[in-house]
Amino acid sequence: MNQKINQIKRSPAFSGMILFFLFLIVYFGVQYLQAPESFWSIKTYRNFMSLFKSFSPLILVTMGQAFLMLMGIIDISIGMQMSFANVLAAMLPEILGLPTPVAWLIALLATILLAVLNGVIVSCLRIPPLLAGFAMIYVIKGINLLIAPKPGGKVPAIANQVFDSMLFGFIPFSLILLAVMYGIWLYLEKTPLIKAVYAIGGNERNAYATGIHTTAIKIKIYALAGFFTGLAGLCYTAAYTTGNPITGEIYGLQSISACILGGISLAGGWGNMASAVYGVGFQILVQTTVPKVFTMISKATGVNYNTYWHNLFSDIIILLGLVVTIFAIRAQRTTFISGLKKQIKGAKADE
Amino acid sequence: MNKNKVYYFVKNNQIGMALLLSLLIFVVTIALNPKSLNVNAFGSILSLMSMLTIAAAGQTLVIIADGIDMSVGATMSMAAIVTVGILRGREDPMLFVIAILAAIGVGAIIGLCNGLGAVKAGLPPMVVTLYISNVVNRLQYVMTGGTPEFTSVSLIYKSFMTERLFQVFPVISFFALGMYALIFWLMNRTRYGQQIFLIGNNNRAAQLTGIRTTRLKVINYMMAGILSGIAGFIGAGNSGYIKCGAFDGMTIDTIVAVVIGGTLLAGGKGSYAGTAAGALLLIVLSNGLAVLSVSPSMKNLIMGVILIILLGVYNRAKPVRA
Repeated sequence: MNQKINQIKRSPAFSGMILFFLFLIVYFGVQYLQAPESFWSIKTYRNFMSLFKSFSPLILVTMGQAFLMLMGIIDISIGMQMSFANVLAAMLPEILGLPTPVAWLIALLATILLAVLNGVIVSCLRIPPLLAGFAMIYVIKGINLLIAPKPGGKVPAIANQVFDSMLFGFIPFSLILLAVMYGIWLYLEKTPLIKAVYAIGGNERNAYATGIHTTAIKIKIYALAGFFTGLAGLCYTAAYTTGNPITGEIYGLQSISACILGGISLAGGWGNMASAVYGVGFQILVQTTVPKVFTMISKATGVNYNTYWHNLFSDIIILLGLVVTIFAIRAQRTTFISGLKKQIKGAKADE
Repeated sequence: MNKNKVYYFVKNNQIGMALLLSLLIFVVTIALNPKSLNVNAFGSILSLMSMLTIAAAGQTLVIIADGIDMSVGATMSMAAIVTVGILRGREDPMLFVIAILAAIGVGAIIGLCNGLGAVKAGLPPMVVTLYISNVVNRLQYVMTGGTPEFTSVSLIYKSFMTERLFQVFPVISFFALGMYALIFWLMNRTRYGQQIFLIGNNNRAAQLTGIRTTRLKVINYMMAGILSGIAGFIGAGNSGYIKCGAFDGMTIDTIVAVVIGGTLLAGGKGSYAGTAAGALLLIVLSNGLAVLSVSPSMKNLIMGVILIILLGVYNRAKPVRA
């Protein structure tokens, strides 16, 4: 038991987990305070599950970002890529008259291709990922606006119904999808591919010296992230039944901060998928809880606070969360590395 | 031999290259649309370029010292809103002094936060400054309730900024020249400037020679914030309509201008003249696209592709093998 606790404490996702569960308690606490009489009914559960529905695109994008970030790469254009998939899925049936399933498949494949192109730009042309991401935002935004100058498109109602449906009446479809995607990570985690990702994130030169084909691995991971992003775009299409060329842009930034909040090191090589999930969970809970707290305060004091206040406070909480996490991760990592040194060289732990 | 010379020029003289490309783009623009060759066009290019050059001053300093400041745009917007809020359309000279001091103060506070987060705490500069800019942006909305009470400065100040001498040189370009002199002096004639170059080149070596790197970097971020604040004050005069987040797009533009101008993102190498050349290239390009009435979506696309090409030529990272 004690060992188990220690294991959790040493996991990179520990700080993200604490933040997440802290805000989970706050979330349910606020729900209880708002309506004590209906708290123990099915409504609370439904409310919580509806979060998965509306935020599954963000969660999937964050998972995609996590793959890249473990390698020490930040792709700020990932949100725009999601919009690209969204626009294609919504507009292809309208422009070319394609049947919806074909259009969605094309959208997914095109997003993977786009991500691969991004990977080539970063790893073959060796442009710093941050700047490449900024440039790609321009390019993809241009393409998106060419395809769909304004929000619109055709999405069959059945897509939304399926996405909205609950399996056995209590498990939302989006949750199953997320679980499957997490399963992919659990499988990949054991493969040499992800081992190579950690190696590249730790030190690219050393990874190269041990015989890892860094360029190929990077492009493969970009394709994988593109797959997650494409799926996110399809989820967005199903959830909001429209193609929107630019709303995804903010997701790029949010996914990065979510990954950091969960405990993935920005330099790469530290963290896992659980970190990303906790991080994005924390962020979503903050975003949904803060407005509720403000309405409670308004009710109690009679002073009205507009949404600008909600945004300001969410952002401040997230900023503080970032600072706390980065410090926690650093301490954890130094302990880990000094422990490793001790094991290998027999040196003292504090060296 | 001749080929070598060309290659050397393309590869190593980025400022010359940026100017050459600007000239080329400008000529192409005129060739495609002869109507665009007029005094007015020169004036507006100069005005836009001056604004961008002034805004990019702080960014240049920070990037040379191996950091990055994503809060330039937010700082400028905040300073502009504060300026407009203090002036309230009035023309009292005393108020101008208060306004500029307030703009500088706003910049200094934001810069100090950036510096403390990115250097003292050692967090990744990009993330910290980005999030601080986010908070600053939200703060503008909270302060003004979404729409500022006053959206522009008094007519006199505005026309003073946008007045064009000999119909070509807008007054703001003289501010840009002043800024240029200031930054040139700061970077090349003071100990501070030499020290930030050293820090950007090799932080550890700088520390070993006795430079207090942490303190100097924090001061550098503060300096960048102050310069952005001043840019916001000038921008408030130059721009007709100030709203929340009016200058948010400036952040990316300044980074692009600095990078095109040959300043290394890894720090230690760069110049403000390069930034000005980069700003010119960026403005001429976007002017050209506007003149040829390219649709905004196509404009985005072309800007992005050109940016990638320029980055591929000039800002490549070292290969793993080397």
